[in-house]
Amino acid sequence: MVFKKKFTAGIAFAALMTGLAACSGNEEPATEGDGEEASQQITIFQTKVEISDQLEAAAEAYTEETGVDVEVIGTTGDDYFQQLQIRLNNGTGPSIMSVQNATVAESLTSYLHDLSGEEFVDDIAPDMALTLDEKVVGIPYGVEGFGIVYNKELVNPEDIQDYESFVSTLEKFNAEGINGYGLSSEAYFLIGHMSNYPFSIQEEPVEFMESLTNGEVTMAETEEFLRFGEYMEAIRANTPSPLSTSYDQQVGDFAAGKTAMIHQGNWAWGLLQDFEVDFEVGMAPFPLEGNDKLAVGVGSNWAVNADKEPEEIQAATDFLEWLHTSETGKRIIVEEFKFVPAMTNIEATDLDPLSQAVLEASNSGNTIPWAHNYYPANLVPNDFAPAAEGFFVNEETTGEEFISNLDAAWQNASK
Amino acid sequence: MDVANRKNIGWYLLFTLPLLIIFTIIVIIPFIIGIYYAFFEWDGINANPKVFVGMENFLTLFSDERFLKSTWLTVLFTVLSVISVNVVGLAFALLVTSKLKLANLARTMFFMPYLIGGLILGYIWQFVFLDVFTFVGEAVGLESIFFNWLLNENFALFALVFVFTWQMAGYVMIVYIAGIQGIPGELIEASKVDGASKWQRLMRITFPLLMPAFTISLFLTLSYGFKIYDVNLSLTGGGPANATELFAMNIYNEIFGYGNYGYGQAKAILFFVIIAAITLTQVYLTKKREVDM
Repeated sequence: MVFKKKFTAGIAFAALMTGLAACSGNEEPATEGDGEEASQQITIFQTKVEISDQLEAAAEAYTEETGVDVEVIGTTGDDYFQQLQIRLNNGTGPSIMSVQNATVAESLTSYLHDLSGEEFVDDIAPDMALTLDEKVVGIPYGVEGFGIVYNKELVNPEDIQDYESFVSTLEKFNAEGINGYGLSSEAYFLIGHMSNYPFSIQEEPVEFMESLTNGEVTMAETEEFLRFGEYMEAIRANTPSPLSTSYDQQVGDFAAGKTAMIHQGNWAWGLLQDFEVDFEVGMAPFPLEGNDKLAVGVGSNWAVNADKEPEEIQAATDFLEWLHTSETGKRIIVEEFKFVPAMTNIEATDLDPLSQAVLEASNSGNTIPWAHNYYPANLVPNDFAPAAEGFFVNEETTGEEFISNLDAAWQNASK
Repeated sequence: MDVANRKNIGWYLLFTLPLLIIFTIIVIIPFIIGIYYAFFEWDGINANPKVFVGMENFLTLFSDERFLKSTWLTVLFTVLSVISVNVVGLAFALLVTSKLKLANLARTMFFMPYLIGGLILGYIWQFVFLDVFTFVGEAVGLESIFFNWLLNENFALFALVFVFTWQMAGYVMIVYIAGIQGIPGELIEASKVDGASKWQRLMRITFPLLMPAFTISLFLTLSYGFKIYDVNLSLTGGGPANATELFAMNIYNEIFGYGNYGYGQAKAILFFVIIAAITLTQVYLTKKREVDM
């Protein structure tokens, strides 16, 4: 009996102690917050898988230099926005996050800290800053571009300059047992980037998209889209299904010489290097309606979470300033992240061939804009990707029907 | 007696209270909040406005074609998998309780897939369908059966049923084994003495006495089937062209893909009502058929 009582008391005591420990655990940061060490910790949650390791290294370098603790939260890529939303709602939002484009910025308005007053913001290249109501809310990661990445040993860029030559090139490779044109199953690599062309070569892409939303025009009655549908038919007829290929495989097959051309951007260089590509690689424009320009834009932007303590916001801004103005930071952006800088104070040196192509196009103004940055939110994964999957699995779907499906997808996403 | 009783209550609380608190925090409270959100139009971002729309979200449900298609797919998937999981599971159970030499080994092997998580299983089978199936198809020439099922709008759902069966059959097998072993030996012996054939024994003795196991297994597979998400996500991701977007995934996409938090919640509530209704009915019906010994 006595034993039993002792036992119960023991458990109660243990429970009490756990409770006390938990309480004191909560108080600690508060007392620390009063001291000098205030919010010397920031968290970064960003979307670009390719720079995860390099960013961790940058964070360590920053911690060494300044003593500010930088925690990098691992990213998963495709569902970044959902993860971010969950974190913001449950109060574990990062101090620095990625904001893909203006559409996303609008839905996150109240979380975006106004960076307009910061000095380093003035160094952003013209028209490259992410603005919302004339306030600068995002620093561009860098300039990125995509197009047809081709193997110079297999493809002569003159052979892919219009529809006829493009198709006959595909047919030639098909007969040789080589994949002529590789896409991959990820939403953006399957259709997201490809779908840019018919939009971007419109005279006023953004206005065109607005009238599309209003129902004033449809893609199915627009010449460029119908042509695009024909290209897609040719791609489907002459290449293996992209649905069973992942990004890694797509790039790997290209590096191994099994694929002659892939549709990718300069970000793929890191992966190409991992696969030890041993031939010369070039980037050519997608020849829709005589297009001879690469699609160049800003892939994502750094933004500071306004829903944090002022000290943490300051610390986060300091980190971004360090990254974009200090020698170490600038070196990291160019050499480690391999970004083509979108800042006038950072000079790009020693670029890889793909980034060099993008930079040259960008400097000469020989570019078409990224229309997909103005698409309705999540249009590509939600609606365009299923439409494209349907197109690729059903051989009897014509290019024209595919374009009508894209129309329906657009209406569904913008309602 | 009173003293002893009070003591028992103390022990009772000590062990149930933590569980009760956790259950309340992670199930009951979110559930209630979820019902509340279902009446609002909201994009899921805390700082953005919630607009009260009353029953509108629930009314929209019935004209949402994608949702209705997803409902139909889920029903089809569940019916097919309840049948296949239970048939295969029962067959496994009868096999490993027979006087087979390798019974114990077989039992372990059959149960193994259940121990692998649904996500991983999905990725493994993705590989099987992609490489092994196409390889076998090319090797033996049965390309109309062995091709990548995942890239066919009609076959992708069967692929899902197939993998789900692979995963769950071992689990319901355990339930059936327990049921079979619970059947008293003298009943079997008596029937043998009376000259019953193997088939008669199975139909007249084993199956009626297995009714409680049927109840449990059907209940489990029915609700698991309706709620499936992990295998769905990793095997097909809802594709191709939304041909395998089942209930749970449709709700997830509505909330996190389209950012319609309130509407997605309305779907989730309906989802709950349907699952509750079906499983309760099913339990009631099978309970009535159970035989007392």
